[in-house]
Amino acid sequence: MRPRAPAGAWGNALASLLELQRGFGSALADAAGAARSAALFRGPPERALARLAVYRGNVFGNCSKALAGAYPIVRKIVGEEFFEDLSRAYWRSRPSVSGDLNEYGRGFDAFLAGCAQVQDLPYLPDVAHMEWLAHRAYYAADSARFDPSRLAALPPERHPGLRPVLARACALFESHWPLARIWEVHQDDYTGEINVDLGAGGERILVHRPAWRAVVIGLGAADHALLCAIRDGLALGPALEAALAADPAYGPSAALARWVGAGAIVALAAGEPR
Amino acid sequence: MSAVAVSGSGPQGLGPGIGLRAPHYRAFLEARQPVGWVEVHSENYFGQGGYHRHVLERVRADYAVSLHGVGLGIGSAEGYRERHLRRLRSLARWIEPVFVSEHLCWGAASGRHFNDLLPLAYGREALALVSARVERAQELLGRRLLIENVTAYLEFAGQEMAEAEFIAELAHRTGCGVLLDVNNLYVNQLNHGGDALAALRTLPAGCVEEIHLAGHLVTEDCVIDHHGARVAEPVWRLYKAALERFGPVPTLIEWDTDIPELAVLLDEAARAGRCMGERLGLAA
Repeated sequence: MRPRAPAGAWGNALASLLELQRGFGSALADAAGAARSAALFRGPPERALARLAVYRGNVFGNCSKALAGAYPIVRKIVGEEFFEDLSRAYWRSRPSVSGDLNEYGRGFDAFLAGCAQVQDLPYLPDVAHMEWLAHRAYYAADSARFDPSRLAALPPERHPGLRPVLARACALFESHWPLARIWEVHQDDYTGEINVDLGAGGERILVHRPAWRAVVIGLGAADHALLCAIRDGLALGPALEAALAADPAYGPSAALARWVGAGAIVALAAGEPR
Repeated sequence: MSAVAVSGSGPQGLGPGIGLRAPHYRAFLEARQPVGWVEVHSENYFGQGGYHRHVLERVRADYAVSLHGVGLGIGSAEGYRERHLRRLRSLARWIEPVFVSEHLCWGAASGRHFNDLLPLAYGREALALVSARVERAQELLGRRLLIENVTAYLEFAGQEMAEAEFIAELAHRTGCGVLLDVNNLYVNQLNHGGDALAALRTLPAGCVEEIHLAGHLVTEDCVIDHHGARVAEPVWRLYKAALERFGPVPTLIEWDTDIPELAVLLDEAARAGRCMGERLGLAA
Protein backbone atom coordinates (compact mmCIF):
# COMPACT_ATOMS: atom_id res chain seq x y z
CA MET A 1 0.00 0.00 0.00
CA ARG A 2 1.33 3.47 -0.86
CA PRO A 3 0.87 6.57 1.25
CA ARG A 4 -1.73 8.88 -0.22
CA ALA A 5 0.27 12.03 0.47
CA PRO A 6 4.00 12.70 0.22
CA ALA A 7 6.15 11.69 3.18
CA GLY A 8 6.83 14.57 5.52
CA ALA A 9 3.18 15.51 5.80
CA TRP A 10 2.87 13.91 9.25
CA GLY A 11 2.06 17.11 11.08
CA ASN A 12 -0.84 17.81 8.75
CA ALA A 13 -4.26 17.27 10.31
CA LEU A 14 -5.40 15.87 6.97
CA ALA A 15 -2.67 13.21 6.86
CA SER A 16 -4.08 9.79 6.13
CA LEU A 17 -4.49 7.13 8.77
CA LEU A 18 -1.70 5.16 7.13
CA GLU A 19 0.73 8.07 7.34
CA LEU A 20 -0.19 8.76 10.95
CA GLN A 21 0.37 5.15 11.92
CA ARG A 22 3.67 4.96 10.04
CA GLY A 23 4.76 8.14 11.78
CA PHE A 24 3.80 6.75 15.18
CA GLY A 25 5.50 3.47 14.27
CA SER A 26 8.79 5.12 13.35
CA ALA A 27 8.83 6.68 16.83
CA LEU A 28 8.42 3.22 18.38
CA ALA A 29 11.20 1.58 16.40
CA ASP A 30 13.85 3.96 17.74
CA ALA A 31 14.23 7.16 19.74
CA ALA A 32 15.55 9.08 16.71
CA GLY A 33 12.19 8.60 14.99
CA ALA A 34 10.40 10.04 18.02
CA ALA A 35 11.72 13.57 17.54
CA ARG A 36 10.24 13.72 14.04
CA SER A 37 6.93 12.25 15.16
CA ALA A 38 6.25 14.33 18.30
CA ALA A 39 4.33 16.91 16.25
CA LEU A 40 1.72 14.28 15.36
CA PHE A 41 0.30 14.46 18.87
CA ARG A 42 -1.65 16.87 21.03
CA GLY A 43 0.16 18.72 23.77
CA PRO A 44 3.71 19.99 24.21
CA PRO A 45 6.43 18.05 22.31
CA GLU A 46 8.34 17.17 25.49
CA ARG A 47 5.24 15.46 26.88
CA ALA A 48 4.75 13.56 23.62
CA LEU A 49 8.39 12.46 23.70
CA ALA A 50 8.10 11.20 27.27
CA ARG A 51 4.97 9.22 26.42
CA LEU A 52 6.43 7.85 23.20
CA ALA A 53 9.22 6.54 25.41
CA VAL A 54 6.59 4.70 27.50
CA TYR A 55 5.21 3.05 24.35
CA ARG A 56 8.72 2.25 23.12
CA GLY A 57 9.47 0.55 26.42
CA ASN A 58 6.25 -1.50 26.23
CA VAL A 59 6.75 -2.47 22.60
CA PHE A 60 10.30 -3.73 23.06
CA GLY A 61 9.47 -5.16 26.49
CA ASN A 62 6.67 -7.34 25.12
CA CYS A 63 8.94 -8.84 22.46
CA SER A 64 11.87 -9.17 24.82
CA LYS A 65 9.73 -11.08 27.32
CA ALA A 66 8.49 -13.39 24.58
CA LEU A 67 12.05 -14.06 23.39
CA ALA A 68 13.23 -14.79 26.93
CA GLY A 69 10.31 -17.21 27.32
CA ALA A 70 11.22 -19.11 24.16
CA TYR A 71 15.00 -19.21 24.82
CA PRO A 72 15.58 -19.79 28.56
CA ILE A 73 18.79 -21.80 28.01
CA VAL A 74 20.43 -19.26 25.68
CA ARG A 75 19.52 -16.67 28.32
CA LYS A 76 21.12 -18.71 31.11
CA ILE A 77 24.26 -19.24 29.04
CA VAL A 78 24.84 -15.58 28.13
CA GLY A 79 23.35 -14.03 31.27
CA GLU A 80 20.25 -11.86 31.63
CA GLU A 81 21.95 -8.56 30.90
CA PHE A 82 23.68 -9.67 27.71
CA PHE A 83 20.54 -11.48 26.60
CA GLU A 84 18.72 -8.15 26.82
CA ASP A 85 21.34 -6.63 24.47
CA LEU A 86 20.98 -9.54 22.05
CA SER A 87 17.23 -9.26 22.30
CA ARG A 88 17.33 -5.59 21.32
CA ALA A 89 19.68 -6.20 18.39
CA TYR A 90 17.46 -9.07 17.21
CA TRP A 91 14.31 -6.95 17.58
CA ARG A 92 15.87 -4.19 15.47
CA SER A 93 17.06 -6.46 12.69
CA ARG A 94 14.15 -8.93 12.65
CA PRO A 95 10.97 -7.22 13.79
CA SER A 96 7.92 -9.06 14.99
CA VAL A 97 5.50 -9.66 12.15
CA SER A 98 2.69 -11.45 13.99
CA GLY A 99 0.11 -10.37 16.54
CA ASP A 100 0.74 -13.71 18.24
CA LEU A 101 3.91 -13.31 20.32
CA ASN A 102 4.33 -17.07 20.51
CA GLU A 103 5.47 -16.79 16.88
CA TYR A 104 8.14 -14.23 17.76
CA GLY A 105 11.71 -15.55 17.87
CA ARG A 106 11.72 -17.72 14.76
CA GLY A 107 15.17 -17.48 13.19
CA PHE A 108 16.95 -16.41 16.39
CA ASP A 109 19.45 -19.24 15.68
CA ALA A 110 20.41 -17.75 12.29
CA PHE A 111 20.64 -14.29 13.87
CA LEU A 112 23.03 -15.62 16.54
CA ALA A 113 25.12 -17.40 13.89
CA GLY A 114 25.72 -14.06 12.21
CA CYS A 115 26.16 -12.07 15.41
CA ALA A 116 29.78 -10.96 15.97
CA GLN A 117 29.32 -10.62 19.74
CA VAL A 118 28.70 -14.35 20.25
CA GLN A 119 31.35 -15.81 17.94
CA ASP A 120 33.15 -17.14 21.03
CA LEU A 121 30.08 -19.30 21.78
CA PRO A 122 29.94 -21.29 18.53
CA TYR A 123 27.40 -23.78 19.93
CA LEU A 124 24.85 -21.03 20.74
CA PRO A 125 23.00 -21.09 17.37
CA ASP A 126 22.40 -24.85 17.70
CA VAL A 127 21.19 -24.42 21.30
CA ALA A 128 18.78 -21.77 20.02
CA HIS A 129 17.58 -24.07 17.25
CA MET A 130 16.89 -26.80 19.82
CA GLU A 131 14.96 -24.35 21.99
CA TRP A 132 12.82 -23.19 19.07
CA LEU A 133 11.95 -26.83 18.32
CA ALA A 134 11.03 -27.27 22.00
CA HIS A 135 8.96 -24.06 21.93
CA ARG A 136 7.05 -25.35 18.92
CA ALA A 137 6.64 -28.77 20.51
CA TYR A 138 5.11 -27.12 23.59
CA TYR A 139 2.23 -25.70 21.50
CA ALA A 140 1.99 -28.56 18.97
CA ALA A 141 -1.18 -30.59 18.51
CA ASP A 142 -1.74 -33.38 21.01
CA SER A 143 -1.34 -36.93 19.67
CA ALA A 144 -3.24 -39.90 21.06
CA ARG A 145 -1.02 -42.73 22.27
CA PHE A 146 -0.72 -45.87 20.14
CA ASP A 147 -2.20 -49.04 21.54
CA PRO A 148 0.46 -51.78 21.05
CA SER A 149 -2.23 -54.47 21.02
CA ARG A 150 -3.30 -53.12 17.63
CA LEU A 151 0.09 -54.17 16.25
CA ALA A 152 -0.37 -57.67 17.69
CA ALA A 153 -3.72 -57.91 15.90
CA LEU A 154 -2.06 -57.52 12.49
CA PRO A 155 -0.38 -60.50 10.77
CA PRO A 156 3.42 -60.18 11.15
CA GLU A 157 3.98 -60.46 7.39
CA ARG A 158 2.16 -57.15 7.00
CA HIS A 159 4.31 -55.28 9.55
CA PRO A 160 7.10 -54.18 7.16
CA GLY A 161 4.55 -52.44 4.94
CA LEU A 162 2.99 -50.43 7.75
CA ARG A 163 3.88 -46.76 7.90
CA PRO A 164 4.70 -45.50 11.41
CA VAL A 165 3.58 -41.97 12.29
CA LEU A 166 5.47 -39.66 14.67
CA ALA A 167 3.68 -37.54 17.27
CA ARG A 168 2.98 -34.02 15.99
CA ALA A 169 5.31 -32.55 18.64
CA CYS A 170 8.36 -34.58 17.48
CA ALA A 171 11.32 -32.97 15.71
CA LEU A 172 14.81 -34.31 14.92
CA PHE A 173 18.08 -32.41 14.79
CA GLU A 174 21.72 -33.34 14.34
CA SER A 175 24.33 -31.03 15.82
CA HIS A 176 28.12 -30.84 16.17
CA TRP A 177 27.57 -30.01 19.83
CA PRO A 178 26.35 -32.11 22.81
CA LEU A 179 22.86 -30.60 22.84
CA ALA A 180 21.09 -33.24 24.93
CA ARG A 181 23.65 -32.71 27.70
CA ILE A 182 23.34 -28.91 27.42
CA TRP A 183 19.55 -29.27 27.69
CA GLU A 184 19.83 -31.58 30.71
CA VAL A 185 22.09 -29.39 32.86
CA HIS A 186 19.96 -26.28 32.23
CA GLN A 187 16.65 -27.75 33.38
CA ASP A 188 15.25 -26.13 36.52
CA ASP A 189 14.91 -29.48 38.29
CA TYR A 190 18.45 -30.65 37.40
CA THR A 191 20.42 -31.27 40.59
CA GLY A 192 23.64 -32.84 39.26
CA GLU A 193 26.95 -31.24 38.45
CA ILE A 194 26.73 -28.46 35.90
CA ASN A 195 29.50 -29.29 33.51
CA VAL A 196 29.35 -29.84 29.78
CA ASP A 197 32.27 -31.28 27.83
CA LEU A 198 31.97 -29.29 24.63
CA GLY A 199 34.65 -31.48 23.07
CA ALA A 200 32.53 -34.60 23.67
CA GLY A 201 31.33 -34.54 20.08
CA GLY A 202 28.05 -33.89 18.38
CA GLU A 203 24.68 -35.30 19.33
CA ARG A 204 21.59 -36.29 17.44
CA ILE A 205 18.47 -35.32 19.31
CA LEU A 206 14.74 -35.92 19.37
CA VAL A 207 12.64 -33.01 20.64
CA HIS A 208 9.43 -34.44 21.94
CA ARG A 209 6.49 -33.70 24.25
CA PRO A 210 5.42 -36.95 25.94
CA ALA A 211 3.07 -35.10 28.33
CA TRP A 212 2.91 -31.30 28.66
CA ARG A 213 6.60 -30.44 28.93
CA ALA A 214 8.95 -30.57 25.96
CA VAL A 215 11.89 -32.93 26.39
CA VAL A 216 15.13 -33.49 24.50
CA ILE A 217 16.44 -37.04 24.09
CA GLY A 218 19.93 -37.88 22.81
CA LEU A 219 19.81 -40.53 20.08
CA GLY A 220 22.21 -43.23 18.90
CA ALA A 221 22.94 -43.44 15.17
CA ALA A 222 20.43 -46.25 14.59
CA ASP A 223 17.55 -44.67 16.53
CA HIS A 224 18.21 -41.42 14.69
CA ALA A 225 18.19 -43.20 11.31
CA LEU A 226 14.95 -44.97 12.22
CA LEU A 227 13.11 -41.86 13.38
CA CYS A 228 14.36 -39.76 10.44
CA ALA A 229 13.15 -42.46 8.02
CA ILE A 230 9.74 -42.48 9.75
CA ARG A 231 9.58 -38.69 9.68
CA ASP A 232 10.33 -38.85 5.94
CA GLY A 233 7.38 -41.19 5.40
CA LEU A 234 9.12 -44.54 4.94
CA ALA A 235 7.35 -47.79 5.81
CA LEU A 236 8.47 -49.80 8.82
CA GLY A 237 10.53 -52.28 6.73
CA PRO A 238 12.78 -49.74 5.00
CA ALA A 239 12.94 -47.60 8.16
CA LEU A 240 14.30 -50.54 10.16
CA GLU A 241 16.75 -51.32 7.34
CA ALA A 242 18.07 -47.78 7.60
CA ALA A 243 18.53 -48.27 11.35
CA LEU A 244 20.33 -51.60 10.84
CA ALA A 245 22.60 -50.00 8.25
CA ALA A 246 23.65 -47.48 10.92
CA ASP A 247 24.15 -50.20 13.55
CA PRO A 248 24.04 -53.90 12.59
CA ALA A 249 23.49 -54.83 16.27
CA TYR A 250 20.26 -52.79 16.46
CA GLY A 251 17.28 -54.66 17.91
CA PRO A 252 14.27 -53.70 15.76
CA SER A 253 11.40 -55.03 17.88
CA ALA A 254 12.79 -53.58 21.14
CA ALA A 255 13.26 -50.23 19.38
CA LEU A 256 9.73 -50.21 18.07
CA ALA A 257 8.33 -51.00 21.52
CA ARG A 258 10.53 -48.30 23.05
CA TRP A 259 9.39 -45.51 20.71
CA VAL A 260 5.76 -46.55 20.95
CA GLY A 261 6.13 -46.62 24.74
CA ALA A 262 7.73 -43.17 24.74
CA GLY A 263 4.79 -41.78 22.81
CA ALA A 264 6.96 -40.80 19.83
CA ILE A 265 5.37 -43.30 17.43
CA VAL A 266 1.62 -42.75 17.71
CA ALA A 267 0.19 -44.75 14.82
CA LEU A 268 1.01 -47.47 12.33
CA ALA A 269 -0.84 -46.60 9.19
CA ALA A 270 -1.77 -49.33 6.76
CA GLY A 271 -1.44 -48.82 3.01
CA GLU A 272 1.16 -47.36 0.70
CA PRO A 273 3.92 -45.20 2.14
CA ARG A 274 3.67 -41.62 1.00
CA MET B 1 -24.79 -3.43 8.15
CA SER B 2 -23.36 -6.75 9.11
CA ALA B 3 -24.75 -9.90 7.55
CA VAL B 4 -25.00 -11.58 10.95
CA ALA B 5 -27.97 -11.24 13.20
CA VAL B 6 -27.03 -9.28 16.28
CA SER B 7 -29.25 -9.27 19.29
CA GLY B 8 -29.59 -6.33 21.64
CA SER B 9 -28.27 -7.89 24.81
CA GLY B 10 -25.71 -10.52 25.77
CA PRO B 11 -25.83 -13.14 28.48
CA GLN B 12 -26.98 -11.43 31.67
CA GLY B 13 -26.60 -12.78 35.16
CA LEU B 14 -23.02 -14.02 34.73
CA GLY B 15 -21.94 -11.74 37.56
CA PRO B 16 -18.27 -11.08 38.21
CA GLY B 17 -15.46 -12.99 36.54
CA ILE B 18 -11.67 -12.92 36.57
CA GLY B 19 -8.93 -13.08 33.96
CA LEU B 20 -7.51 -16.62 34.03
CA ARG B 21 -3.70 -16.56 34.03
CA ALA B 22 -1.20 -19.45 34.25
CA PRO B 23 -0.26 -18.93 37.95
CA HIS B 24 -3.89 -19.75 38.86
CA TYR B 25 -4.38 -22.76 36.59
CA ARG B 26 -3.79 -25.22 39.42
CA ALA B 27 -6.30 -23.55 41.73
CA PHE B 28 -8.94 -23.77 38.99
CA LEU B 29 -8.16 -27.41 38.24
CA GLU B 30 -8.22 -28.44 41.91
CA ALA B 31 -11.36 -26.70 43.16
CA ARG B 32 -14.47 -24.89 42.04
CA GLN B 33 -13.82 -21.17 42.40
CA PRO B 34 -16.60 -18.70 43.26
CA VAL B 35 -16.83 -17.05 39.83
CA GLY B 36 -19.18 -17.93 37.01
CA TRP B 37 -16.85 -17.08 34.18
CA VAL B 38 -13.23 -16.44 33.25
CA GLU B 39 -11.55 -14.59 30.43
CA VAL B 40 -8.31 -15.48 28.65
CA HIS B 41 -6.13 -13.76 26.09
CA SER B 42 -7.08 -15.47 22.83
CA GLU B 43 -3.57 -15.60 21.35
CA ASN B 44 -2.22 -17.68 24.24
CA TYR B 45 -4.45 -20.52 23.01
CA PHE B 46 -3.79 -20.24 19.27
CA GLY B 47 -1.51 -23.32 19.39
CA GLN B 48 -2.92 -26.61 18.17
CA GLY B 49 -2.46 -28.40 21.49
CA GLY B 50 -0.41 -28.53 24.67
CA TYR B 51 -0.90 -27.61 28.30
CA HIS B 52 -2.64 -24.23 27.96
CA ARG B 53 -5.37 -25.65 25.74
CA HIS B 54 -5.68 -28.67 28.00
CA VAL B 55 -6.32 -26.41 30.99
CA LEU B 56 -8.75 -24.21 29.07
CA GLU B 57 -10.75 -27.25 28.00
CA ARG B 58 -10.96 -28.48 31.60
CA VAL B 59 -11.96 -25.04 32.89
CA ARG B 60 -14.55 -24.67 30.12
CA ALA B 61 -16.38 -27.71 31.52
CA ASP B 62 -17.25 -25.72 34.67
CA TYR B 63 -17.18 -22.04 33.67
CA ALA B 64 -18.22 -19.79 30.83
CA VAL B 65 -15.10 -18.62 28.98
CA SER B 66 -14.61 -15.26 27.29
CA LEU B 67 -11.96 -14.75 24.57
CA HIS B 68 -10.16 -11.42 24.71
CA GLY B 69 -7.80 -10.67 21.81
CA VAL B 70 -4.68 -8.59 22.27
CA GLY B 71 -2.97 -8.99 18.87
CA LEU B 72 -5.43 -8.44 16.04
CA GLY B 73 -4.96 -4.65 15.75
CA ILE B 74 -8.32 -4.17 14.10
CA GLY B 75 -7.49 -0.56 13.13
CA SER B 76 -4.09 -1.15 11.48
CA ALA B 77 -4.04 0.71 8.16
CA GLU B 78 -1.47 -1.79 6.86
CA GLY B 79 -0.16 -5.17 8.01
CA TYR B 80 -3.60 -6.38 9.08
CA ARG B 81 -3.81 -10.13 8.75
CA GLU B 82 -6.96 -12.10 8.26
CA ARG B 83 -4.96 -15.21 9.18
CA HIS B 84 -5.07 -13.95 12.78
CA LEU B 85 -8.85 -13.74 12.58
CA ARG B 86 -9.10 -17.25 11.16
CA ARG B 87 -7.01 -18.59 14.04
CA LEU B 88 -9.40 -16.81 16.40
CA ARG B 89 -12.34 -18.40 14.62
CA SER B 90 -10.79 -21.83 15.00
CA LEU B 91 -10.30 -21.25 18.74
CA ALA B 92 -13.84 -19.88 19.14
CA ARG B 93 -15.37 -22.88 17.37
CA TRP B 94 -13.52 -25.16 19.75
CA ILE B 95 -14.14 -23.42 23.10
CA GLU B 96 -17.58 -21.88 22.39
CA PRO B 97 -16.96 -18.65 24.31
CA VAL B 98 -19.58 -16.47 25.94
CA PHE B 99 -17.90 -13.31 24.55
CA VAL B 100 -15.31 -12.58 21.88
CA SER B 101 -13.69 -9.18 22.26
CA GLU B 102 -10.99 -7.09 20.59
CA HIS B 103 -9.36 -3.77 21.42
CA LEU B 104 -10.10 -0.59 19.51
CA CYS B 105 -6.51 -0.03 18.43
CA TRP B 106 -3.94 -0.59 15.72
CA GLY B 107 -0.75 -2.66 15.98
CA ALA B 108 1.24 -2.90 12.75
CA ALA B 109 2.92 -0.55 10.28
CA SER B 110 5.88 -0.44 7.89
CA GLY B 111 6.37 -4.20 7.89
CA ARG B 112 6.50 -4.70 11.63
CA HIS B 113 4.07 -5.64 14.36
CA PHE B 114 4.34 -3.65 17.57
CA ASN B 115 2.44 -6.15 19.74
CA ASP B 116 0.88 -3.29 21.65
CA LEU B 117 -2.51 -1.56 21.82
CA LEU B 118 -1.84 1.68 19.95
CA PRO B 119 -4.45 4.47 19.85
CA LEU B 120 -6.25 5.35 16.64
CA ALA B 121 -6.70 8.79 15.08
CA TYR B 122 -10.45 8.93 15.73
CA GLY B 123 -12.10 10.24 12.59
CA ARG B 124 -14.04 9.35 9.48
CA GLU B 125 -11.24 7.40 7.81
CA ALA B 126 -10.59 5.23 10.86
CA LEU B 127 -14.32 4.75 11.37
CA ALA B 128 -14.79 3.48 7.81
CA LEU B 129 -11.82 1.13 8.15
CA VAL B 130 -12.71 -0.27 11.57
CA SER B 131 -16.42 -0.62 10.66
CA ALA B 132 -15.51 -2.72 7.63
CA ARG B 133 -13.13 -4.84 9.70
CA VAL B 134 -15.68 -5.39 12.48
CA GLU B 135 -18.34 -6.40 9.96
CA ARG B 136 -15.96 -8.83 8.29
CA ALA B 137 -14.94 -10.26 11.68
CA GLN B 138 -18.57 -10.71 12.76
CA GLU B 139 -19.34 -12.40 9.46
CA LEU B 140 -16.36 -14.73 9.76
CA LEU B 141 -16.95 -15.53 13.44
CA GLY B 142 -20.69 -15.79 12.95
CA ARG B 143 -21.34 -13.78 16.09
CA ARG B 144 -21.30 -10.35 17.65
CA LEU B 145 -17.88 -8.94 18.46
CA LEU B 146 -17.27 -6.74 21.51
CA ILE B 147 -14.94 -3.77 21.03
CA GLU B 148 -13.03 -2.37 24.00
CA ASN B 149 -11.91 1.20 24.65
CA VAL B 150 -8.16 1.41 25.31
CA THR B 151 -5.73 3.37 27.41
CA ALA B 152 -4.03 6.04 25.33
CA TYR B 153 -0.89 7.82 26.52
CA LEU B 154 -1.08 10.03 23.43
CA GLU B 155 -3.82 11.56 21.30
CA PHE B 156 -3.34 12.48 17.66
CA ALA B 157 -3.50 16.21 16.98
CA GLY B 158 -6.50 17.29 14.97
CA GLN B 159 -8.50 14.13 15.47
CA GLU B 160 -12.11 14.56 14.53
CA MET B 161 -13.91 12.93 17.44
CA ALA B 162 -13.49 11.53 20.92
CA GLU B 163 -13.06 7.80 21.50
CA ALA B 164 -16.53 7.37 23.03
CA GLU B 165 -18.22 9.09 20.07
CA PHE B 166 -16.23 6.85 17.75
CA ILE B 167 -17.31 3.71 19.63
CA ALA B 168 -20.96 4.82 19.72
CA GLU B 169 -20.92 5.32 15.94
CA LEU B 170 -19.07 2.04 15.39
CA ALA B 171 -21.68 0.15 17.45
CA HIS B 172 -24.46 1.88 15.51
CA ARG B 173 -22.95 1.02 12.12
CA THR B 174 -21.88 -2.57 12.78
CA GLY B 175 -24.11 -3.80 15.59
CA CYS B 176 -21.01 -4.71 17.59
CA GLY B 177 -21.17 -4.70 21.37
CA VAL B 178 -18.96 -2.67 23.69
CA LEU B 179 -16.55 -3.99 26.28
CA LEU B 180 -16.26 -0.99 28.56
CA ASP B 181 -12.94 -0.72 30.41
CA VAL B 182 -13.70 1.64 33.28
CA ASN B 183 -10.08 1.87 34.39
CA ASN B 184 -9.03 2.92 30.88
CA LEU B 185 -11.60 5.71 30.90
CA TYR B 186 -10.27 6.93 34.23
CA VAL B 187 -6.61 6.67 33.15
CA ASN B 188 -7.34 8.61 29.96
CA GLN B 189 -9.09 11.30 31.98
CA LEU B 190 -5.94 11.72 34.09
CA ASN B 191 -3.64 11.60 31.07
CA HIS B 192 -5.59 13.89 28.72
CA GLY B 193 -7.99 15.81 30.91
CA GLY B 194 -11.07 14.28 29.26
CA ASP B 195 -14.31 13.62 31.10
CA ALA B 196 -14.93 9.96 31.89
CA LEU B 197 -18.52 10.55 33.01
CA ALA B 198 -19.26 12.34 29.75
CA ALA B 199 -17.81 9.33 27.91
CA LEU B 200 -20.26 7.07 29.78
CA ARG B 201 -23.15 9.28 28.71
CA THR B 202 -21.96 9.20 25.09
CA LEU B 203 -22.19 5.42 24.85
CA PRO B 204 -25.71 4.13 24.06
CA ALA B 205 -27.29 2.48 27.10
CA GLY B 206 -27.90 -0.91 25.45
CA CYS B 207 -24.51 -1.50 23.86
CA VAL B 208 -22.29 -2.42 26.82
CA GLU B 209 -22.15 -6.20 27.27
CA GLU B 210 -19.07 -6.53 29.45
CA ILE B 211 -17.07 -4.32 31.82
CA HIS B 212 -13.35 -4.53 32.69
CA LEU B 213 -11.84 -3.37 35.97
CA ALA B 214 -8.09 -3.28 36.66
CA GLY B 215 -5.40 -1.44 38.58
CA HIS B 216 -3.16 1.31 37.28
CA LEU B 217 0.14 2.92 38.20
CA VAL B 218 0.70 6.65 38.64
CA THR B 219 4.15 7.73 37.36
CA GLU B 220 5.82 11.06 36.80
CA ASP B 221 5.10 11.16 33.06
CA CYS B 222 1.65 9.65 32.98
CA VAL B 223 -0.70 7.08 34.47
CA ILE B 224 0.14 3.58 33.24
CA ASP B 225 -2.54 0.97 32.70
CA HIS B 226 -0.34 -1.85 34.07
CA HIS B 227 -3.00 -4.23 35.44
CA GLY B 228 -0.78 -4.85 38.44
CA ALA B 229 -2.72 -3.52 41.45
CA ARG B 230 -6.13 -3.49 43.08
CA VAL B 231 -8.79 -1.38 41.42
CA ALA B 232 -8.40 2.24 42.60
CA GLU B 233 -11.20 3.90 44.61
CA PRO B 234 -12.04 6.54 41.95
CA VAL B 235 -12.38 3.70 39.43
CA TRP B 236 -14.85 1.93 41.74
CA ARG B 237 -16.89 5.14 41.87
CA LEU B 238 -16.83 5.43 38.10
CA TYR B 239 -17.81 1.75 37.90
CA LYS B 240 -20.91 2.45 40.00
CA ALA B 241 -21.85 5.24 37.61
CA ALA B 242 -21.38 2.81 34.70
CA LEU B 243 -23.62 0.22 36.40
CA GLU B 244 -26.28 2.87 36.88
CA ARG B 245 -26.28 3.64 33.18
CA PHE B 246 -25.70 0.18 31.68
CA GLY B 247 -27.19 -2.16 34.29
CA PRO B 248 -25.44 -5.03 36.14
CA VAL B 249 -23.26 -5.97 33.16
CA PRO B 250 -20.91 -8.99 33.61
CA THR B 251 -17.72 -7.52 35.06
CA LEU B 252 -14.18 -8.87 34.85
CA ILE B 253 -11.20 -8.28 37.15
CA GLU B 254 -7.98 -8.15 35.07
CA TRP B 255 -4.51 -8.63 36.57
CA ASP B 256 -1.45 -9.13 34.34
CA THR B 257 1.61 -7.77 36.16
CA ASP B 258 2.90 -9.11 39.51
CA ILE B 259 -0.03 -11.48 39.66
CA PRO B 260 -1.04 -12.05 43.31
CA GLU B 261 -2.62 -15.11 44.88
CA LEU B 262 -6.05 -15.98 43.57
CA ALA B 263 -7.76 -14.86 46.81
CA VAL B 264 -6.90 -11.22 46.00
CA LEU B 265 -8.60 -11.44 42.61
CA LEU B 266 -11.60 -13.23 44.10
CA ASP B 267 -11.85 -10.47 46.71
CA GLU B 268 -11.95 -7.83 43.97
CA ALA B 269 -14.49 -9.89 42.03
CA ALA B 270 -16.67 -10.18 45.16
CA ARG B 271 -16.60 -6.40 45.53
CA ALA B 272 -17.69 -6.00 41.91
CA GLY B 273 -20.45 -8.51 42.64
CA ARG B 274 -21.66 -6.43 45.60
CA CYS B 275 -21.77 -3.33 43.38
CA MET B 276 -23.83 -5.25 40.83
CA GLY B 277 -26.14 -6.47 43.60
CA GLU B 278 -26.68 -2.92 44.85
CA ARG B 279 -27.52 -1.87 41.28
CA LEU B 280 -30.08 -4.67 41.07
CA GLY B 281 -31.53 -3.50 44.40
CA LEU B 282 -31.94 -0.03 42.96
CA ALA B 283 -33.71 -1.42 39.94
CA ALA B 284 -36.09 -3.55 42.03
